[in-house]
Amino acid sequence: MFIHQSELDHELEAFRAEVRGFCARELAPQTRSKMDLGQHLTQPEHDAWLKALGAKGWLAGKWPKDHGGLGWTPLQAAAFQEELGKAGTPWLVPFGVTMVGPVIYTFGSDAQKQKYLPGIVRNDTWWCQGYSEPGAGSDLAGLRTRAVRDGDHYVVNGQKIWTTLAHWADMMFCLVRTDPDVKKQEGISFLLIDMKTPGITVKPIVSIDLSHHLNEVFFEDVRVPVENLVGEENKGWTYAKFLLAHERVGVAEVGKFRLYLGYLDDMLKQTREAGVPLAEQPAFRTRRVELDAQLARLEALLADQHATVGENSAPSLMGAAALKIRGSELQQAILETTMDVLGRHGMAYQTDALLAGWNGDRIGPSQSAGLIHEHLYRRAATIYGGSSEVQRSIIAKGGLGL
Amino acid sequence: MSSFGSEERTLLNDSARQYFESEYSFARFAEHSAQHGGAGWNQQVWRECAKLGWLGVAVSDEAGGAGGGMTELAIVVAAAGRQLALEPWCATCAVALYLLEHAQGEAAGAQLQLAMNGELTPVLCHYEPHGGYARDYVKTVAVAEGDNFVLNGAKTFALHAGHADRLVLTARIGDAAGSLCVLSVPADAAGLRRTAGAALDGRHGASVTLTNVACPRAALLYEPGPDTEAHVQRALDRGALANAAEAAGAMAAVSEQTVEYLKNRQQFGKPLTSFQVLQHRLVDMSMQSEETRAVVMRALVAMDCDAENVQEIVWQTKMLTSRAAQAVGAEAVQLHGGMGMTDELAIGHYYKRLLVCASQYGDADWYAGQLSA
Repeated sequence: MFIHQSELDHELEAFRAEVRGFCARELAPQTRSKMDLGQHLTQPEHDAWLKALGAKGWLAGKWPKDHGGLGWTPLQAAAFQEELGKAGTPWLVPFGVTMVGPVIYTFGSDAQKQKYLPGIVRNDTWWCQGYSEPGAGSDLAGLRTRAVRDGDHYVVNGQKIWTTLAHWADMMFCLVRTDPDVKKQEGISFLLIDMKTPGITVKPIVSIDLSHHLNEVFFEDVRVPVENLVGEENKGWTYAKFLLAHERVGVAEVGKFRLYLGYLDDMLKQTREAGVPLAEQPAFRTRRVELDAQLARLEALLADQHATVGENSAPSLMGAAALKIRGSELQQAILETTMDVLGRHGMAYQTDALLAGWNGDRIGPSQSAGLIHEHLYRRAATIYGGSSEVQRSIIAKGGLGL
Repeated sequence: MSSFGSEERTLLNDSARQYFESEYSFARFAEHSAQHGGAGWNQQVWRECAKLGWLGVAVSDEAGGAGGGMTELAIVVAAAGRQLALEPWCATCAVALYLLEHAQGEAAGAQLQLAMNGELTPVLCHYEPHGGYARDYVKTVAVAEGDNFVLNGAKTFALHAGHADRLVLTARIGDAAGSLCVLSVPADAAGLRRTAGAALDGRHGASVTLTNVACPRAALLYEPGPDTEAHVQRALDRGALANAAEAAGAMAAVSEQTVEYLKNRQQFGKPLTSFQVLQHRLVDMSMQSEETRAVVMRALVAMDCDAENVQEIVWQTKMLTSRAAQAVGAEAVQLHGGMGMTDELAIGHYYKRLLVCASQYGDADWYAGQLSA
């Protein structure tokens, strides 16, 4: 216990400063102002930022150099993500760079590496994740979307759901059932599907925040070339598990939590009770220090993870699951506290204020619509990317051997 | 004290449950929700409920009401809350009608009759920017000028104030340090500006600014004095308790729906309800819903009997209910998984309604602060 080395890393601090400078300089003013108000970005706005990171080589900085990355250490990758989060920059969409990219360079063919990795590194390609299905949520391996071999194609039929940004995506990485007659985990394959292929229909899902991030995706006789199969047929579950471990670390976005706490502080200063700012009320001050301590704990857990896992290896499932649980819970706790503050402004939710250029009269603080939106959307933080229930089962099985 | 016997109460409960279940489908709610471009309430439902005598169910016989108490009103409010009804049950029936019924001014009686008939919708605008949930923070000023009062000030976004045709306003006489009075002002009075918008839960509301709003002396419902303070306090307690009743109805409905959903949802080849960890969470959720019903009932008895410590009981109730409402709503979404996150399903709307109920008239921490002060 307590054996890890810990020294202040001056090189890392310099890197952090460089990232901060880049964010301050390179984020378009219009995008920055939208981010501050929690407004929806257009795809070109979002794309411009990710391309700026791509051009710098940072988007895939954590990838090995052989595959177009910069070979960052996990610590450096975490520092990068944290600084982006603190700076309130647009979401670092993980589907390409954190999820399918590592799967392709670890398990894909040379042709796939050449074809897809450069587009991910530069963000020329937008990806989405075809995992969940109406009948396969927590029980992901129960998925039913079928892919049947027909000459040099797979013919895909079925449905995916909760597909974030499918409406912007050029490509989907998709789990499909290629063998229905074996144990469910053993009949799954990992396909790369061009979203422009005939037979694909993307239908929006409006979520409780009244925005469109999520989609249903329907496949009707969609012909996918066999060269788009990653790795071996029926081995898709192995790649999916590899990827889930990556996804969970991504969910613990500690930098963004600092940003949230900053917004909470703004609200506490702007909101008064009996004329006194809530920031000066003992009850809120207590809640605020609790949140700070919880974030410090999460950061400590993350640092511990980084110290424990070797370079370039996936983090342990146990640790990743714990980070996902605690990260999503803390995110919700910060946003719930924010909502408790906003309750004093009467709980108006002006969704028009989430659109750029809206000139209506605001009710309450200017950030309130954006923060309410964030609160509602992050209700799903304990559901997506493997729900808290699934994560606890992972720890029970993998961590405690139950 | 209510004049309703237990048989009449049962009858009221049955007919209210039946009415809202048949008239207020989720599709109906969505159609009228202000978050979906609707008006934020259903005028036809309101008129029908007026005809059924429910708007004035807690108004005394002498004043033309049904002679029930808060308990009878809560029966209707809970039935409405189960179906996410959008109409101003708490704001108008629990709060504004009370203030009109007990007002000193003569104009109040006529307004009360119209309001019980559903022809006039009065809503109290009391809380103010920078006041938070503080009940005594009123900086709106009413200055006597000749035969008029001139009002200046601002009121926080209040549910239903957007489509109310009468605003009941608290103000201080003379200056910001003056005594509290209550006035009833037409919503279209000159100088009264409403910034209307949808509330989180699909109801409709408005914040209000008052700039030299002139109103006749007859608009005064309560002269300054200790009785006025007490009536305003009681009105706010009634608002808090009615919100707790609404939340109790919504919690019961969403708990039942979550149990049903998990019974039918198959994962890993069996229904989700076969997992013990999920069973226990459904149990906790249902217990919270039951406890809320019990604690609200206790407060209703206290209020209708005018118990000595009624305020303490109501405040405890609102504190407990607000916490339970947030927890039950969040758990309903979590246990539904992705489905709980969709606008298309009722679950997310219960979550939002429960958040709003939790915050109306003060949230759990605020009441905890008051009780410990």
